[in-house]
Amino acid sequence: MARPIATRYARSGDVQIAYQVVGQGSLDLVFVPGFISNLDLHWEDEGYSRLLSRLSAFSRLILFDKRGTGLSDRVDANALPSLETRMDDVRAVMDAAGSSRAAILGASEGAPMAILFAATYPERTRSLVLYAGYAHFHKWVMDPERLQTFIDAAETNWGTGATLQNFAPGRLDDARFAAWWARFERLSASPTAAAALARMNAEIDVRGALASIRAQTLLIHRRNDARVAPEASRYLARNIPDAQLCEISGRDHPIWTGDVNRVADLIEEFLTGTHAPPDTDRVLAALLVTRVSDTARLGDRMWSERSLRFQETLRLLVGRHGGRIADQYGDVVVSRFDGPARAIRCAAALRDAAQGIGIASAQGVHVGEIDARGPPSGLTVRVAVKIAEHAGRGGILASRLVSEIATGSGLHFVDAGRLALDDLEGPLALVEATSEQHLEPACRSRTPAAAEPSALTARENEVVALIADGKSNAAIAIELSLSEHTVKRHVANILTKLDLPSRAAAAAFAVRQTGPDGP
Amino acid sequence: MLATKEAVTGASIKKAIESRDGPMLSSFYADDALVRVIDRNNPPSKPREIRGRAAITTFWDDICSRAMSHRVDLTIAQGDNLAFSQDCAYPDGTKVFCAAMLELKDGKIARQTVVQAWDE
Repeated sequence: MARPIATRYARSGDVQIAYQVVGQGSLDLVFVPGFISNLDLHWEDEGYSRLLSRLSAFSRLILFDKRGTGLSDRVDANALPSLETRMDDVRAVMDAAGSSRAAILGASEGAPMAILFAATYPERTRSLVLYAGYAHFHKWVMDPERLQTFIDAAETNWGTGATLQNFAPGRLDDARFAAWWARFERLSASPTAAAALARMNAEIDVRGALASIRAQTLLIHRRNDARVAPEASRYLARNIPDAQLCEISGRDHPIWTGDVNRVADLIEEFLTGTHAPPDTDRVLAALLVTRVSDTARLGDRMWSERSLRFQETLRLLVGRHGGRIADQYGDVVVSRFDGPARAIRCAAALRDAAQGIGIASAQGVHVGEIDARGPPSGLTVRVAVKIAEHAGRGGILASRLVSEIATGSGLHFVDAGRLALDDLEGPLALVEATSEQHLEPACRSRTPAAAEPSALTARENEVVALIADGKSNAAIAIELSLSEHTVKRHVANILTKLDLPSRAAAAAFAVRQTGPDGP
Repeated sequence: MLATKEAVTGASIKKAIESRDGPMLSSFYADDALVRVIDRNNPPSKPREIRGRAAITTFWDDICSRAMSHRVDLTIAQGDNLAFSQDCAYPDGTKVFCAAMLELKDGKIARQTVVQAWDE
């Protein structure tokens, strides 16, 4: 969500610090960001935007980029400012925004700065919130050796999004977020500045300041935080007078990833004594994610012709099934339907259309709540995209919930294993939509007689094992020294013998036969 | 409970607001007073509610801690009802306009509704 928010500059010594003020609440809340930041870019990420919207709904939220990052003045990478100097930027921004007293929210590397501010200016600190904070870098974030590895990697890979794995491993497969993260790196700091910032953060040790904090303090830490050990906040809880610690579930470190609403609820409740009623602007929807790909290596020109033809057909078919296209990026289309049966029927029609045009499709269907306004975003969409990524060529995978809601629709599903997702507490049960067979029960188990692996030849068993490894026909052909045509024939025979609808189902079958650890 | 330093009138409210006197403002409210704030983030069907004098004291302490100017232009009194409009400005130039309606009970503010609009 891009919002037209004015960016202003506050003078702090010789340096101009960029800041934004948003919200109309009676209390001032200053957000001190972590390692790197960019005021303009934050609003373009769904999670960041949600966090800022939530916080600014009850406060006058003051945001800034620390010197050397984002929209603020650059600093000499060879003469880096001390933590005290950077902390004083908070004061300069508060002065410019007319805030004599504010609640300070420090996230990650922003926490030690917030600690120092609260200890230095008790009269200007209304209260303190530290998210994934720490008092000593080497003790709770990285030892010198790991830091050097991080800096070496940053110096060579900076700007590609390579640091994402250090901060939010749960979002590595989220192509859109990974692309945003790469921009976030580039627009927040140059490679040299990033390495310098990392070295500067390594100097952080504010353990001596903890006892002099007078403000009421809330500490929030995710139990499996990938970047800062939760013990860091437990130490803060023991050493900051009048601090309360709240450990929550989750692994991704940035405050704007994972369950942002949970974090916002805790902060709002701590600062105002109450938190916003649950979002009522949400509706239940069935989402269909359609991916097409050029598995046949058609070449750019032919692929773009066919892809265009498919997009036209897709618009027509989605409309015909009562849905509408909600979002589109690359070769992925997200369409939204009122009910899952329509989504599945549309998916089947799209699969046939793709086949007719001569391109490969893979689709996922999931049902859940989404925001009533704007393009769908959030957990339901992420899950639907993951399901589509898991689907094999021509496959239509859905969460089990879809098959349960579609009971009585005449659609047929078979079990297709489980999918582990970081966002969810447990693995998600999947089903594969099969062709309609009106005389059979709606959710059948495969007939045991037909599903014996012994029905397959030795070669077919080898092929099915490789399919289960996620290998393409081309890759299987190379591995078994066969032609791709022969592999295709084996795959067709396997599906016929086992009475399975797709490669994905064959893969699921193979995994069930051998167990997760192999034969 | 703080002693009421001054009677709740248009003039005393104007003086307290313009001098950013949080304790004085808080002393104008009844113990169980309710302040409702309606703005862009808190629409009429879901206004932000601040209940009780303790919460209202925090509310005014927060607002009065801002280095900003307030000017109360117009106050209208009619029986136990009082209304005023207020122009505010932050040092960076951001302007806020508020209109407030108050219901008095036994000389204290029992209920107040504030409608505000901000430069953004």
